[in-house]
Amino acid sequence: MADIDNKDQAELDMADMEDVEEVEDEEAGEDVNSKARQLTAQMMQNPQILAALQERLDGLVGSPSGYMESLPKVVKRRVNALKNLQVKCAQIEAKFYEEVHELERKYAALYQPLFDKRSDIVKAAYEPTDEECEWKADEEEELTVSKQEEMKEKAKVEEEKKDEEKEDPKGIPEFWLTVFKNVDLLSDMLQEHDEPILKHLQDIKVKFSDPGQPMSFTLEFYFETNDFFTNQVLTKTYKMRSEPDESDPFSFDGPEIMGCTGCQIDWTKGKNVTLKTIKKKQKHKGRGTVRTVTKTVPNDSFFNFFSPPEVHEGGELDEDSEAVLAADFEIGHFLRERIVPRAVLYFTGEAIEDDDDDDYDEEGEEADDEEGEEEADEENDPEYDPKKDANPPAECKQQ
Amino acid sequence: MEGDHSETRGKVGDQVMQNPQALAALQDRLDSVSHTPSTIESLPKSVKRRVNALKHLQVRCAHIEAKFYEEVHELERKYAALYQPLFDKRRDVLSGAVEPTDEECDWHSDREEEEELAEELKKKAAVEEKKEEPVVEEDPKGIPEFWLTIFRSVDMLSDLLLEHDEPILKHLQDIKVKFSEPGQPMSFTLEFHFEPNNFFKNTVLTKVYKMKSEPDPAEPFSFEGPEIVDCEGCDIDWNKGKDVTVKTIKKKQKHKGRGTVRTIIKQVPNDSFFNFFNPIKVSSDGELDEDSEFTLATDFEIGHFFRERIVPRAVLYFTGEALEDDESFEEEDLEEGEEEDHEDDGDEEEGDFDPKA
Repeated sequence: MADIDNKDQAELDMADMEDVEEVEDEEAGEDVNSKARQLTAQMMQNPQILAALQERLDGLVGSPSGYMESLPKVVKRRVNALKNLQVKCAQIEAKFYEEVHELERKYAALYQPLFDKRSDIVKAAYEPTDEECEWKADEEEELTVSKQEEMKEKAKVEEEKKDEEKEDPKGIPEFWLTVFKNVDLLSDMLQEHDEPILKHLQDIKVKFSDPGQPMSFTLEFYFETNDFFTNQVLTKTYKMRSEPDESDPFSFDGPEIMGCTGCQIDWTKGKNVTLKTIKKKQKHKGRGTVRTVTKTVPNDSFFNFFSPPEVHEGGELDEDSEAVLAADFEIGHFLRERIVPRAVLYFTGEAIEDDDDDDYDEEGEEADDEEGEEEADEENDPEYDPKKDANPPAECKQQ
Repeated sequence: MEGDHSETRGKVGDQVMQNPQALAALQDRLDSVSHTPSTIESLPKSVKRRVNALKHLQVRCAHIEAKFYEEVHELERKYAALYQPLFDKRRDVLSGAVEPTDEECDWHSDREEEEELAEELKKKAAVEEKKEEPVVEEDPKGIPEFWLTIFRSVDMLSDLLLEHDEPILKHLQDIKVKFSEPGQPMSFTLEFHFEPNNFFKNTVLTKVYKMKSEPDPAEPFSFEGPEIVDCEGCDIDWNKGKDVTVKTIKKKQKHKGRGTVRTIIKQVPNDSFFNFFNPIKVSSDGELDEDSEFTLATDFEIGHFFRERIVPRAVLYFTGEALEDDESFEEEDLEEGEEEDHEDDGDEEEGDFDPKA
């Protein structure tokens, strides 16, 4: 027996292992756990200790600073010193975000030529060359050569028929309208009567505030000449808070949208979709006569986007307006961060799968496959995107 | 099938399927409801062509974006140097190396005032009762167990923490984030600085996270900024008998044939935070099994979390303030507002005629 006892695992014959059956597992070495268990049992039987424990716990429960309060005074003092350092960090962080904003401004200028080209193609101001249009399909969709040819021929014949029936479409018709329809956040705002107007939307641009100005960005909606209003551009400006709030320095997590302004729309007569007239029949209580009264009331429309509730300094908004505004900020942020930079991917639908995260989980809907752990997007700039983040400063977005 | 319900439905369904007009209407309806990528297929050829041109432009955007993130990384490197003196001071204060001045400790908050009040009350009440000071009489240096407390307070970290890790983490004095240099592949390193201790000889344990910072040519549109793709730990020079990442177990084994019993000693991996420094390697070609993939994904999450939140805002995790922020964030349910139809014409009802109106 003595030989076999305490043999090193490596020395054991594999054949031997088959012949044995395991009887017990024990943890060798210091049996720390059982000692601790014993101690604990003892403690729990000592009424004085229990009372002290209870008091301690009472003090801790319910407040995050509970732990803090239980610290010795000298230590608390040092923690406060760290908090003061943290405030300084927050102030440096604000400068960091300013520089990031500058970087974004710089890169906006680099993207702009590509976006301008996009706009030219969409509105048929430019016809791309064959080379510019070459695009390999997904590998999965690759079929055998002959099958492809067959399908091409078929498609060609059908296309030719179609093309003959319709006039040759210019550019990419209804490009932005399609984007709106494909994206839940936007389609939610879209009413039927908005669609004919949005067919005239040719481009959406993002402009950044200049250095030295309070931080903001502006969305510019460019419309071709149309029957509905005379403006060529409709604008929405989002103002951001880019510095820590002195009374709450630790809540600062990067620039945050805190207000917005729209613009006036010069509607052609009778075309204002943000208003509707209703007729009301009224009966005179006394005389019994009936009259018809015409009233103008607000109408649901995407174009209310350009007259958001005003945030007054220090003023509070009612709950409804607050909700509207919160949704508005989300939309502004989304247009800036995702839609404008990647419009074609929303047109084709490729980007929509990516965005299908739990932000928009609705009760009752069939659960989509949730890819891993995804957390809700922050409304702040930069975004905390679950896996990846399109926004600085958190350049790598695993969370 | 039982039940009238389904039978009726079946009948109606059959009828619809046989009526070509109904079918066509259905199809139209379906087509207009979903704007799925398949509708792109139905676009005229000339338009599809232009859409492809836009996709090309989009690839170019992705490449510009990659350069943008490189510059952001540089900005982060630059600011890391600006934060560093503050973090160094933090380390000095919490290790007890430097005692902050009264001015540096001046912190006013509502809670502080409440606490001062409470202190005064306590003093009055405690004249007779000389409450015993905590068992440890010695004047605590710095902020004892600063980082350990953070580990305990933060779910993501406490999940990794085992009891036997705690005595070791008491010696953790600082966690630093270092960024890769310009020109190098993008990465960041977490450095865990320990004071001399009985457990291992290293003064620093490191974990490097490597990032992919450019669009994948096969999938350029999935690029959304740098992403952690791999990581590397370090060797821990454990003192004898102190390695908490392994445990020895005794196994009694009975020989089936002979009936003799023997005891063997095995070394097996032990759960420990310190396995953090010995992560699963991502093989260059191979796929990982689901478990390993999940473990690695969690590891990446943790690395990111250290870098983005813990190290920059450590004191707020120590006090718990940052936990509220993180938590309240998850609880926010952005419910789709139930829009009330404003067709409701306010308070006027039919039949009332207000001469003043």
